[in-house]
Amino acid sequence: MDNNENLKTGFWLSEWAFPIFTAFLAAGVFAGTHMYYVHHIGAFNEIAIVAMLEAGLKGGSFGAAAAFGASFLFARILEGPLVGILDIGGSIMTGVGIGIPAIFLSMGITGPLESFPLALFTGAAIGLAIGCIIIIIRKYTVASNESTFGADVMMGAGNASGRYLGPMIVIAAAMASIPVGIGATIGAAAFYAWKKPIAGGAIIGAMILGAIFPIMTK
Amino acid sequence: MDFIEILMKSVIIGACMGFAVGAGAARMFHAPQAQGMGAFRTLGELNACEGDPIAHFSFGLGFLFNSWASIVGTGAFTQDVAHRIIPNWAAAVLLMRNKNVAETLHNPAKMALTGAVIGAVVIGVMNSTAVAIPTALQLIATKVLVPAANWLINLVMPIVFWMAALDAGRRTGVWGTVLGGLSHLVMGNAVPGIVLGILIGKGVDDGGWNHITRILVVAVVLLFVLSGFFREFDIKLLTEFYVDVPDGLKAFHALFKAGA
Repeated sequence: MDNNENLKTGFWLSEWAFPIFTAFLAAGVFAGTHMYYVHHIGAFNEIAIVAMLEAGLKGGSFGAAAAFGASFLFARILEGPLVGILDIGGSIMTGVGIGIPAIFLSMGITGPLESFPLALFTGAAIGLAIGCIIIIIRKYTVASNESTFGADVMMGAGNASGRYLGPMIVIAAAMASIPVGIGATIGAAAFYAWKKPIAGGAIIGAMILGAIFPIMTK
Repeated sequence: MDFIEILMKSVIIGACMGFAVGAGAARMFHAPQAQGMGAFRTLGELNACEGDPIAHFSFGLGFLFNSWASIVGTGAFTQDVAHRIIPNWAAAVLLMRNKNVAETLHNPAKMALTGAVIGAVVIGVMNSTAVAIPTALQLIATKVLVPAANWLINLVMPIVFWMAALDAGRRTGVWGTVLGGLSHLVMGNAVPGIVLGILIGKGVDDGGWNHITRILVVAVVLLFVLSGFFREFDIKLLTEFYVDVPDGLKAFHALFKAGA
């Protein structure tokens, strides 16, 4: 309990620590895009989204990547402080990792993407700015009010929704192939009997049987 | 030489990201008193593993094969590294020694340091190995885990959040329903809208229509308008109502595409 009380007032849960965390994350993600630019590996995003950047690199327009990334970044910066969780997929990985590099490249600025130290520094600066903007929005909206804005309701729903994953993995496994479905079912049942969350058992069961009898592809 | 260079850069990148992702994930459990960082799905999935180290580890492992295959094949990691592998493995490592989630998974300091180590190892190994992943295990990820996770994100989470909004009172129910439906139309997922609906509904229930709840509504409207515009929702809307899209609007959209 003491430990928790310390946390509330200490560095790790403080408001001003947040921009530091966004800076570290953005530095890593932006440097990941540098890796992709230079070595062609290591971009932190889905294949389809990286493909938009690739289209620009191959001589096409950076417009799609820039617009897509920037709009995601903007929406997530607004949403983050309101709901209490910043979505790093949209804001940092797509916004900072794809959108901002695309804007730089479309303007002919290649320095931050060619040099590793400069990439880390650029990412960190962008991340720091994003973190500060979010904390400022919080100060003027949620934090200065005594209402919890239904946080208890949301946490309850968040906890409840997680329970559904286990059964859904078994269903998806059963749809994938018979051996994988049998493996997932046995794994889930065994984990339940051992009082462990069934999602883990379902995945392990599916992987073991799937390794021996690979799913057939037409 | 190239190998060493890639490995060293990857370790630095992984450590930076792991540190931030670990801290952000732990802070999600203290939201909204502290600003968290991650994703609602990450929060749901971390909760789904119920503090069991083996469940956290195997969940992360399932996505590792998918990411690994993707990086070997296309050079793109997928977002799963930061959303799933690092947070779940950091949780697994911490929970192996201490089963109390309040002292481990919910502790940003411990999660950040463990996350940094895991990030450095995972990114380092994945970026520097060109060895292909067994295709059989890769298939399990794409055929089993991806659909199950998509159902969770697209159906189960919206429904559970929606029910919670309806049960939390009339005002949250109405706001949650309206914004949830709109959010699925505009943003492709209802959860952000329902969450904002709960936020506004509960905010007004507790404090009335003060300047903060008003700013909230304005911010939400702005959020919807801008995401709608950038996702070209306005053009789709007109087209599906069989209204001709005015040339002016098309030109306005084209401005943002060509300008960037």
